[in-house]
Amino acid sequence: MMRIAAAILSAGMALGATTASAQEWPSKTIKLVVPYAPGGYTDSVARIAARYLEKELGQTVIVDNRAGGGGIVGSDIVAKSPGDGYTLCICSVGAISVAPVAQTTSYDPVKSFKPVSIVSTIPQTVIVNPSLPINTMQDLVTYAKANPGKLSYGSSGAGGLMHYSVQLFDARNGTKMTHVPFKGGSPATAAVVSGEVNLSFTNMTDALPQMEANKVRALAVTSAKRNEFAPQLPTVSETVTPGYSVESWNGVMAPASTPDPIIAKLSDVLKKMAADPEMKKSMAVVGASTVFTTPEEYKAQIAAEVEQWRALLKEIAEKKN
Amino acid sequence: MTDVFAALGHGFAVAATPINLFFCLAGAICGTLIGVLPGLGPVATISLLLPATYALSPVSAIIMLAGIYYGAQYGGSTTAILVNIPGESTSVVTAIDGYKMAQQGRASEALAIAAIGSFIAGCIGTVVIALLGPPLALMTQQFASPDYFSLMVLGLVSAVVLANGSAFRAIAMIFLGLLLGMVGMDLNTGEARMTFGLVELSDGINFVALVMGLFGVAEVISNLEGASVRIVNKMRIGTIWPSFKALRGAWGAVLRGTALGTLFGILPGGGATIASFSAYALEKRVARDRSRFGNGAIEGVAGPESANNAAAQTSFVPLLTMGIPTSATMALMVGALTLHGIAPGPMIISRQPDLFWGLIASMFLGNAMLVIINLPMIGIWVRLLAVPYRLLYLVIVVICAIGVYSVNNSSFDVYMTVGFSLLGYVLRKLDAEPAPLLMGFVLGPMVEENFRRSLITSHGDPMIFLQRPISLALLLVSAALLISIMMPAVRQRRVEVFQE
Repeated sequence: MMRIAAAILSAGMALGATTASAQEWPSKTIKLVVPYAPGGYTDSVARIAARYLEKELGQTVIVDNRAGGGGIVGSDIVAKSPGDGYTLCICSVGAISVAPVAQTTSYDPVKSFKPVSIVSTIPQTVIVNPSLPINTMQDLVTYAKANPGKLSYGSSGAGGLMHYSVQLFDARNGTKMTHVPFKGGSPATAAVVSGEVNLSFTNMTDALPQMEANKVRALAVTSAKRNEFAPQLPTVSETVTPGYSVESWNGVMAPASTPDPIIAKLSDVLKKMAADPEMKKSMAVVGASTVFTTPEEYKAQIAAEVEQWRALLKEIAEKKN
Repeated sequence: MTDVFAALGHGFAVAATPINLFFCLAGAICGTLIGVLPGLGPVATISLLLPATYALSPVSAIIMLAGIYYGAQYGGSTTAILVNIPGESTSVVTAIDGYKMAQQGRASEALAIAAIGSFIAGCIGTVVIALLGPPLALMTQQFASPDYFSLMVLGLVSAVVLANGSAFRAIAMIFLGLLLGMVGMDLNTGEARMTFGLVELSDGINFVALVMGLFGVAEVISNLEGASVRIVNKMRIGTIWPSFKALRGAWGAVLRGTALGTLFGILPGGGATIASFSAYALEKRVARDRSRFGNGAIEGVAGPESANNAAAQTSFVPLLTMGIPTSATMALMVGALTLHGIAPGPMIISRQPDLFWGLIASMFLGNAMLVIINLPMIGIWVRLLAVPYRLLYLVIVVICAIGVYSVNNSSFDVYMTVGFSLLGYVLRKLDAEPAPLLMGFVLGPMVEENFRRSLITSHGDPMIFLQRPISLALLLVSAALLISIMMPAVRQRRVEVFQE
């Protein structure tokens, strides 16, 4: 009897503690986990965001790099952290929407997290080596169809977004290009410059400097809409593959057990951040556009992306058999 | 040519402002310190200090961060020489003869030649960037996967030369290293290999954990078991300045090491490591008396140390001329530049001349500062050896643990260090040297990656390795080296046959 009473009492206290902490949140240092190595694109976004959050929330926000397994290790750490609002993740599309479909992860992209808001998005840019007689997306499809398996594309590694976006493109256009994986997006872009591979669907951050120096020829962006940093580039969707949309995002996510009041408070801050002119300027430097989504929109987007990649993998597997 | 000097003059004007001089010095000191602490590498330090640079101008920030990077190359040799713990892959070979020199009471001689060699190499490397940066960068563009594969093969063959004991054991160690290097995600399929379902292993075994275990802690264990604990403690500490004779024996090694380092440093992926290993192998090849190697040959310290510092300077070439980072540290520099609002790329020299030439000028100043900081420090470092070993080893073990943890903030890596310490102790008992193992571990994944990528791009045709001139030349050099290693053994057997 006493034991049950104690259990109820402690459960009640725990509940009380949760609500109290949600009201006072944040009352101590917040850890923002970056599941990638320092210096990369996600890391830059996280550090820019951390500076803003620190100012708005009045608490120290430390960036904690937990790289490994293409973002799986760090995302997993956050999924398993206590949901008290003091461990957050700047997660990215690769480890959340692609990896759980392509390989086994111990977290579920929809159930293990409470998404708060997407912070920034960046499209991929279709770049080809300038020595190729390919000047438009139509040229690319025609050339690829005439020479099946001959065009090679560089990616950041098997099962990464740079790999899957081309697989999706191949599936939609009936083309077949040869996959050449690299260790990261930056060496894959360098390989397009040197001509070791013919093309790549590469992150805009990596593509822009090489485009300016005419080291690569850019054909299109992979997002649904044209991009503000290269408005002259058409989208893949408007040229050859209607409905094609692949975009890389970084967003703030919390462990699934985080109380809703904390999510709501954080959502408000991130909404302000997306509209902040200073933030827009800082994000533009890394080639990113600031974005705000409500937790519900964010959750729906992740679910839709997981579905898209799952369907593609099934399609590819069926073709092989 | 006059353009270059005018630009360089402008660079000195930028670098020599009091504020930039201060941050250059701060970076150099910080780099030396983290270089000395085993395991704590420039990547961890630069990422920690990145937020602190927000308030600085981009030029000051990059000058300081670069100072940390090449400063760490000076400091990295210190623990390799004094306590047989190489802080980074580039100082693994320094430990072979450097530590022997320390045991013979010649620690200060080894440290001095490391600092002087690094200084000369750093200056020459910087001149090369200033004069030849952009054309050299274009040259690296000629290197494709088949050429890298052949370069790595050359590296593996040189690893046999590294060994001072039996060639058979060396080859066995290289293969053990190759096997350890297989752990992790398969690049082409994304499947996990030999990870036993541990996510922590999906990016492979942590290099620092492997080195700290095999070298550092294993050394401590075997020192503690012997009654004659550390001969070095009883030896005289010696003078700081190496004798004229010692220097004369080393200058050739410094120049050869610098040449190799300058060349290999420009190549992406492991260039600096290959440079230091091949510098050691080269010294051993050209030496008249090879038996001195592994027993405290000063060239065995001078060559690799010069090579790794030259490589540290020239590894900035691809970053500054093309915006392509060649290592984790360089990727961090890209991050630092973008956070400061500069997108590194092919246009950086024309758009940011202050940054490019200021950084180059600061490298001259930084190297001069480093040699001035490091030479007097030698006395202090060497005196550390006088600390009773029962106290010293505790400090070594604790610092190793902190260093390993700091790489990925992962306690899993610390447990791995414990495992590798036991392995290292067993290998030591079997007279198997860990240096060739590390060479296999570092090169193995690169060999595989480039081999498979070559075959993908050639659609499965292995002739691609012989059709490309760079690759063919490298393979021929490897074959020649392999034959020259085998020849003495063959000749010896023939002599034996004749005697019978």
